[in-house]
Parts: sequence; structure tokens; C-alpha cells
Amino acid sequence: MRLFGADILPLAAEHIVLALVPVLLGLVISLPLGWWAWRSRGARRILLPLTGVLYTIPSLALFVVMPIVLGTRILDPVNVVVALTVYAVALLVRSVVDGLDEVPSEVLTAGVAMGYRPLGLLVGVQLPLAVPVLIAGVRVAAVSSFSLVAVGAIIGQGALGALFTQGFERFYTAQIVFGLVSILVLALVVDALLMLLGRLLAPWAAARAPKKQGV
Amino acid sequence: MIEFSDVRKAYPDGTVALQSLSLTAREGEITVLVGPSGCGKTTTLRMVNRMVDPSSGTIRLDGVDVSTQDPPTLRRGIGYVIQNAGLFPHRTVLDNVATVPVLLGRSRAEARSAAGELLERVGLDPRVGSRYPAQLSGGQQQRVGVARALAGDAPVLLMDEPFSAVDPVVRADLQDELLRLQSELGRTILFVTHDIDEAIRLGDMVAVLRVGGTLAQFAPPADLLAAPVDDFVAGFVGRDRGYRRLQFVGAGSLALSSFPTTGDGWLLVVDDDGRPTGWRQGDDHVALGTVHEEGESLRSALDAALSSPSGRGVAVDEDGKVIGGIEPEAVITLLHASAEPAR
Ligand SMILES: Nc1ncnc2c1ncn2[C@@H]1O[C@H](COP(=O)(O)OP(=O)(O)O)[C@@H](O)[C@H]1O
Ligand SMILES: [Mg+2]
Repeated sequence: MRLFGADILPLAAEHIVLALVPVLLGLVISLPLGWWAWRSRGARRILLPLTGVLYTIPSLALFVVMPIVLGTRILDPVNVVVALTVYAVALLVRSVVDGLDEVPSEVLTAGVAMGYRPLGLLVGVQLPLAVPVLIAGVRVAAVSSFSLVAVGAIIGQGALGALFTQGFERFYTAQIVFGLVSILVLALVVDALLMLLGRLLAPWAAARAPKKQGV
Repeated sequence: MIEFSDVRKAYPDGTVALQSLSLTAREGEITVLVGPSGCGKTTTLRMVNRMVDPSSGTIRLDGVDVSTQDPPTLRRGIGYVIQNAGLFPHRTVLDNVATVPVLLGRSRAEARSAAGELLERVGLDPRVGSRYPAQLSGGQQQRVGVARALAGDAPVLLMDEPFSAVDPVVRADLQDELLRLQSELGRTILFVTHDIDEAIRLGDMVAVLRVGGTLAQFAPPADLLAAPVDDFVAGFVGRDRGYRRLQFVGAGSLALSSFPTTGDGWLLVVDDDGRPTGWRQGDDHVALGTVHEEGESLRSALDAALSSPSGRGVAVDEDGKVIGGIEPEAVITLLHASAEPAR
């Protein structure tokens, strides 16, 4: 499908990959970091402010600095992926800590008393219970990742964001609006899918309100 | 059997939770640890499954020093029930109960079907098995907690104030249920509570602890009521221990008086089978008081006397036939005669 002189579908596919791969990588990195911060008071005191600071770095600056830090070429998509992974980590470490904090202490006590080893407890009890909070964090990270990819257009790696840059060059409002709307729609669809995933992974979270009956 | 020998626990911050505890919880009995908040009950319990390790002294489980055991393995062989149940919110009731068997390597299907049977055992409708804990009442959750602790077939059960968070009516149900279960299962249970009534109701043996972690008295409940060793225990046991002791004294050797009596004009009316139906004084018919059945405790004997309009209680055999009258004085005499503890 060609629109505004660009092949839209490959651009959209590229946009999805550039936006979601960093979220996935970010999650993989954040799980051990978040667990460490949850466990150790010292790690929490360092990691949480640090991720806060990371998130305040303007995206443009991060994109421009990446080739210097990584030694990559300026047009390499790796620049965008790494930069967005940094943002995802910045958001998700906190989510992991908050998610683990959600687990009631008596549930942990019961888990230990039943004979879980630490890793089994983490995988079997703590992470499943952290899912609702974690998914909420992942949704924020994913949506913001979709808009940040567009900023990558300025360094030539923006997928659908290219519609902006070209639109601006040509003073072509319709193209700019189309780029904006398509990114928005993609982000909303992914957000909705993630929400569904959350429901699927944590069906228990919807089960509330004890039915009134005897003992 | 759980044996504590000279167990002392000081936490890293210097708090001495337990001074020097020596205590044996016998096989197949409910041993209750009771005492005010902070006296080291939870600490004592958690040393059995190594959630806390003692500073010195040893704890033996069926003769084996627990400090030589791998903690997770040890814990899978010991049931544990806590206040508020601590059920896993993300697992169905059935999967909660199946937790330990699955950890022990049994197949999920097998563990689930055994869990279903356990739910019935603790008095739950097996249909709650597919619900999540949040969909149950507090009392139901606590029952699931008990079922989960029983699921590994552990011979030893640790219970830390399991019924403290539910309302009194539900608590009484749960206590009855535990006693019924225990009569079927005969596990070795170490039960912690701050409620002396609960301790007396459930315990085969009761250990009263004082703050600072010392054992004040270790005795069967009847002895605790009859002969508290000091003011602390007497105060802790409470004011109406005299009344409560009645339920621990059998009325077997109670001297019964004979009917009918003349003089005061009260006549007991019985039917053709010899069962009491009411009292009669002159032309007045008056309802019976409570009736004491052979084999019940002195508590029911005294209640029969106190609630009878004639001032004399009615004792019946197990078929409900009148066997004699109960004078309140006879109850008091027997109570005094049993004041010396048996052990
Ligand atoms: N992890 C801990 N670190 C320091 N002190 C503790 C710890 N756990 C319990 N204590 C202290 O040990 C004492 C006994 O506690 P605990 O065994 O919980 O008593 P109980 O269960 O009878 O209320 C209390 O003074 C309590 O504050
Ligand atoms: Mg306690």
C-alpha cells in the first residue's frame, strides 16, 4: 500500500519492531534489577533514583549520543533500539519493585513455610502476583516507545516518523496528520492487546468480592 | 514428637525472644503455646521448621536435630497454618491445597484430586475448589489454610494464631472442626494463641509463656485451672477459672439423690419410659431445667441443678431415663475432692 510516496505497511512493521523490541529487552533487564532493588535496601536507594534520572534525558539527546557511546554508525537502527531500551528499563525497574512490593507478607511467609526455595518462590508466587502492576508498567513503556520511535526519524530511523519529517519538508499537513494518526492507532492497538494479555495472565485479579454465605 | 532443649533465641538487634525453653510436644497431641503478645510464641514455632534458627540449644523432630536438615525439604514435611490463612491469591482453592504435594513432586492431577477430598474433610463444599481465595469468606479461607497444611500428609502441624482473625462464632466452629479432625488424624500439633480460652479448649497440654520468653507453666488444661503455679499464670488463666474447671472434671462419681422427694412439694413427672417431662408442685406444671446426661462433665451437672425450678437437677442415662437427682452441694463436694491435680 503506497501513500504519500511511501510504502506504508513495511514502515508500520518497522515501527512496531523498533518500538516493541526495546520494551521486551527492557523487561528482561528490569526483572533481575528490580528483584535486586526489591531485596536490598542499598540497591533500591541507588537504582530507583538512577532510573528516574535516566528517564529525564531528552530522547533526542540520547539518540544523538548513542553512536558515540556504542561506536555504531549514525544510521544504524541499533541506536534507536538501545536508546529506547534505556527508557524501558528506566520505567520498568520501578514497576518490578512496585509489583514485588504488592505481594502480601503473609503470602511470602506461607510460601517459605510450604517449602519453596527462593527461585521457586519468585517464579511461582511473586512474579505471578506482580503481573497486574508489571503489565501496567509495560503498557506505559510500550505506548511511550511508539511515540519515541517517531523521534528517531530525526536521525533517519523513525519508521512511520519519516512521514513527519517528509511532511514537514514538503509543508504537507495531510501527511503529517496521517503519520500522527497511524502511530496513535498502532499504539492504542498494542495497548489494548497488552491489557488483554494482562487479563489472561492474571485472571485472579478480576475475582473479588466474596459471595455472602456461611463458613 | 517435638523436643525443645535449652533453646535460646536472641535476634541480631539484641531482643531476647526466648530465654531458655525446654519443652516436649508429644506425638499425636495438641500442645498449645499461650502467652501475651511478644512472649516469643511465633519465634518458638518458626524454629521447628527453621524459618528461625535458635541462638543455642536444639530442637528435635522425632529424635532428629532439625539443624541438620535442609530447610525447604524439612518444611515440606511440616504443615503450617497462619493467621489470615496466607493463601496464594493467584491460585484457585484447589491449587492452593495442592501446593505441597506438587512441590514434593506429585503430579498436578493427582494432587488436585486429593485436594478435593481434603476440602470435604475440612467441611468445605468441593465446588469452592475452582474459586480464588478472594471469593471466599474469612472462615472459609482459614479452612482452606488448614486443608493446605494437611495436604502433604505431614505428621506435624504448626499453627500460629490460625483462628484469631475471624469472628467468635466462626472461631468456635473452626475450633470444633479442628478437634474433630484431630480425633480422626492424630497429628502432632503445636498451636500458638494469645487466647487462654482457646488454649484450654484445644490443648492436651498447655504451655504458658511470659514476656521475655520463659516458660511459666506446662500442664494439662485442667491442672492449669486447678493449680496455677504463680500469680502470673493465675492472672492469665482468668477470674472464672473455677467455673471453667468444671468442664474438665468427670461427674462419674457424683452422688445422686433419689426421686421422688417429699417435703418441699416438688414432684418430677416422667413418661411411661421413665423419661422426665416436667416438674409439678401442687397443681402447677413447670418446665424442666437442663438435663445432665451420664458421662458429661461436672459443668453440665451443676448447670442441671442451677437451672432446675426445684433446685435439684435431673440426671438421665444415655436412653434419657431418669437415674437420679443432683444436689448442687454434691457437685461442689466432688469439685473440691478433685482439686489436687492428678499429675
Ligand atoms: N525478626 C526479628 N528481629 C528482631 N526482633 C524480633 C524479630 N521477630 C520477633 N522479634 C521480637 O521477639 C519477641 C518475640 O516475638 P514473637 O515470637 O513474634 O512473639 P509472639 O508471637 O509471642 O507475639 C518480640 O519482642 C519481638 O519484637
Ligand atoms: Mg506471634
